[in-house]
Amino acid sequence: MQQAGGGSETEVTWEDQQNINKFGRLNNRYHELEDEIRIAKNFEDASNELILTDEEVVRFQIGEVFAHVPKDEVEMRIEQMTETTTKHLEKLKDEKDAVVAQMADLKKVLYAKFKDSINLEED
Amino acid sequence: MATSASPQQPGGAVVAERRGIPAASFVEDVQIYLNQLGLDVNSTLAFLQERLQQYKVVEMKLLAQQRDLQAKIPDIEKCLDALLTDFEASEGIYSRARVEDIDSVCLWLGANVMLEYSCEEATSLLRKNLENAKASLEVLIADLQFLRDQVTITQVTIARVYNWDVHQRRVRQALASQDS
Repeated sequence: MQQAGGGSETEVTWEDQQNINKFGRLNNRYHELEDEIRIAKNFEDASNELILTDEEVVRFQIGEVFAHVPKDEVEMRIEQMTETTTKHLEKLKDEKDAVVAQMADLKKVLYAKFKDSINLEED
Repeated sequence: MATSASPQQPGGAVVAERRGIPAASFVEDVQIYLNQLGLDVNSTLAFLQERLQQYKVVEMKLLAQQRDLQAKIPDIEKCLDALLTDFEASEGIYSRARVEDIDSVCLWLGANVMLEYSCEEATSLLRKNLENAKASLEVLIADLQFLRDQVTITQVTIARVYNWDVHQRRVRQALASQDS
């Protein structure tokens, strides 16, 4: 986000500054969420693959330890982990939508006041 | 270091600094700000740019700390997980390898130190470390948000001072050409 210099005399109030600050914070959060969503998606894909194994007893990794665990229990655990991740993913996506909506609102307000003197787009 | 005492409008939180990071004062009026600083435009711009650089340095440091914490937290969680689940899942299988050790756990504390704990002590130590790490992370994230706000304010102030200067020159030029 950059402020373009144009020699204009538009006054910047504290409220304007706070809006600009808020936009900056939302933009940062947006990028963080994109990264987190990407990571969570990877995990979902990985756990889907795991379910396809065919052995009786599976080496299940807990932290740095491998435990020999019967396949049924492994399936149950993976199911739990997948459910947790899916819920987490949903929450992240909802937050991202909210952030995008707030950013759109702020853009309207700021462009209305500053028109060309402000640039709120991604480079 | 020059200090400007620009009054903030009511409704905005006025903070002079946060944990050693100085707040960027909001400029109500550029002319008054320059008078208060007692500097010309170029010196003011240089001063603001330097402030911006200092903020960036602190930001790099905080981001590095944040990355460390964000790596440490899942580490601790994995240890806790291993402790808690091995305990329940390990009856027939794991205990074949280590019968006595079910009651005690060795934790790697770093710096070539490893201590033996009972399962309970280990669990509560790990839980406490996890809470501390999470709390530190929260404070760090708040620091970073504060810092980014100060960076934004400073960037906007730089733009405004520059624009003001351009505007002043235009006005002077217009007046000069009127007189001639």
